Amino acid sequence: MANETKNRKGMMVTPELCIGCRACQVACKSWNQLPGTKTTNNGTYQNPPDLNSTAFNLIRYNEVPGQENPVRWLFVSRRCMHCEEAGCMTICPTGAIYRTADGAVAVNRDKCIGCKLCTNACPFDVPRYDAENKMTKCHQCSDRTAAGMLPACVKTCPTGALKYGDRDEMIKTAKSDGFKTIYGEQDLSGLGTVYAFKDEPKLYGMKENPTIPGSVVFWHTYLKPLSFIGLGGVVAAAAIHYLAIGPHKEKEEV
Amino acid sequence: MAEIVRKSSVDEILNHWILAGSCILLMITGFAFLFHMEAVASVFGGFNTMKEVHNWGGVVFTLSMLYSMRHYLKDAFEYDADDAQWFKVAGGYLSHKVKVPPMGKYNPGQKLYYLAVVGAGIAIALSGFAIWFMKDNGTIMLLAHLVHNVAFCIFVLAVPVHIYLGTLANPGTFKLMVSGTLPLEEAKRRYPKWMKAAGKM
Ligand code: HEM
Ligand code: SF4
Ligand code: SF4
Ligand code: SF4
Repeated sequence: MANETKNRKGMMVTPELCIGCRACQVACKSWNQLPGTKTTNNGTYQNPPDLNSTAFNLIRYNEVPGQENPVRWLFVSRRCMHCEEAGCMTICPTGAIYRTADGAVAVNRDKCIGCKLCTNACPFDVPRYDAENKMTKCHQCSDRTAAGMLPACVKTCPTGALKYGDRDEMIKTAKSDGFKTIYGEQDLSGLGTVYAFKDEPKLYGMKENPTIPGSVVFWHTYLKPLSFIGLGGVVAAAAIHYLAIGPHKEKEEV
Repeated sequence: MAEIVRKSSVDEILNHWILAGSCILLMITGFAFLFHMEAVASVFGGFNTMKEVHNWGGVVFTLSMLYSMRHYLKDAFEYDADDAQWFKVAGGYLSHKVKVPPMGKYNPGQKLYYLAVVGAGIAIALSGFAIWFMKDNGTIMLLAHLVHNVAFCIFVLAVPVHIYLGTLANPGTFKLMVSGTLPLEEAKRRYPKWMKAAGKM
């Protein structure tokens, strides 16, 4: 499954730099022409509560106990991780989900049949479906980056909490800047959205050891080849039987 | 004129071809999904319309499979000592010299094939409908996806063998699914126990 994309581009998220202004959420809606959704106050500034078909990114308002203050607010951008081993891409029955030259994972609306298998194979519960049952999610602004522009959310981010660029270089820089943990450096052969953390990923509400569901891996590695090789094998066996032993002959039956 | 006996009824023949046609259609479209075959999808007008063909083909297949039970299910559960012996000589398919025991209307290979079709058929139908209609239950979706594909592998292995044995490997068998009849003398030679039970021998 893994095949390292050369000069892979990526997104670096640094919650310590984020001020929770959510300009990224607005920029994404603006560039992708997505309407707002009506939500209700549920006791947090996080809004909308989770990704939806018109919200490809959001800032999670993660509250953890702090040392100086009773509450430490960690603003963590949630979006598609653009996994190198992407469960969504593996399971999709039409090839609607594809990888761009920069290593992002994007979806071709016309090919999507709305089967909703991808959301179940995604370790991060990212794919959502619009009114026509077409899969929607962050595409790392592949339409902008292909034209040499920054992703809309990155372009608008006033603090540098969101960066876009050469994945390896951004990881190197974050490490030399003293960030202890780079979330997503190795997971699923390397995520395209990586996070620079000062503490354990758990504190930031990140999923530890994300994996593609076992049944999907089993299906991909064994069942798919079996169906193909099996068909060829049986047809070949029939041909060999016909030539070597030959068809049933009436006379020999007593 | 030689006496003719009927082995397959008219409704059985009709249903067989509905079952076979829908199954092959489902296998072709299923393979096209599995390996993202654009060329096959375009024959059906793209992936979206191919999905409709696959889903509704599944409905036809399910109904046809259920209907076929009235033709084969009872026989498929009955095995005797001759059937055991049939397996020992591999049905005579590996050598023309062995003596094949006398058979009834169906040999045990055919009976097991039918059970495989019904077993895998029920599994592929239930899981297919789950993928179609239970999209919002993640556990069921993943389970159904797995079951659908395991059952698919059983079909892929079993169906070509059945086609080979029903045509090239056994000359004269194919017409049993076209006209449904054969001369009495031939029936006595091939299905002695069935003919005895029918009082013709
Ligand atoms: C009996 C009722 C059946 C139903 C309702 C059904 C439905 C489905 C559905 C909904 C999908 C997912 C893609 C899509 O949304 O179209 C699918 C995929 C598939 N089906 Fe079926 N199907 C049925 C029978 C069969 C049969 C008989 C076969 C082969 C013998 C088959 C082979 C496949 C394969 C190989 C795939 C692609 C792999 C996958 O994505 O799971 N299906 N089917
Ligand atoms: S996070 Fe989910 S949707 Fe995004 S690439 Fe990974 S598996 Fe696909
Ligand atoms: S919903 Fe669309 S993108 Fe997702 S697996 Fe199905 S066809 Fe592919
Ligand atoms: S990269 Fe583009 S699509 Fe993805 S969250 Fe940012 S603005 Fe939205």
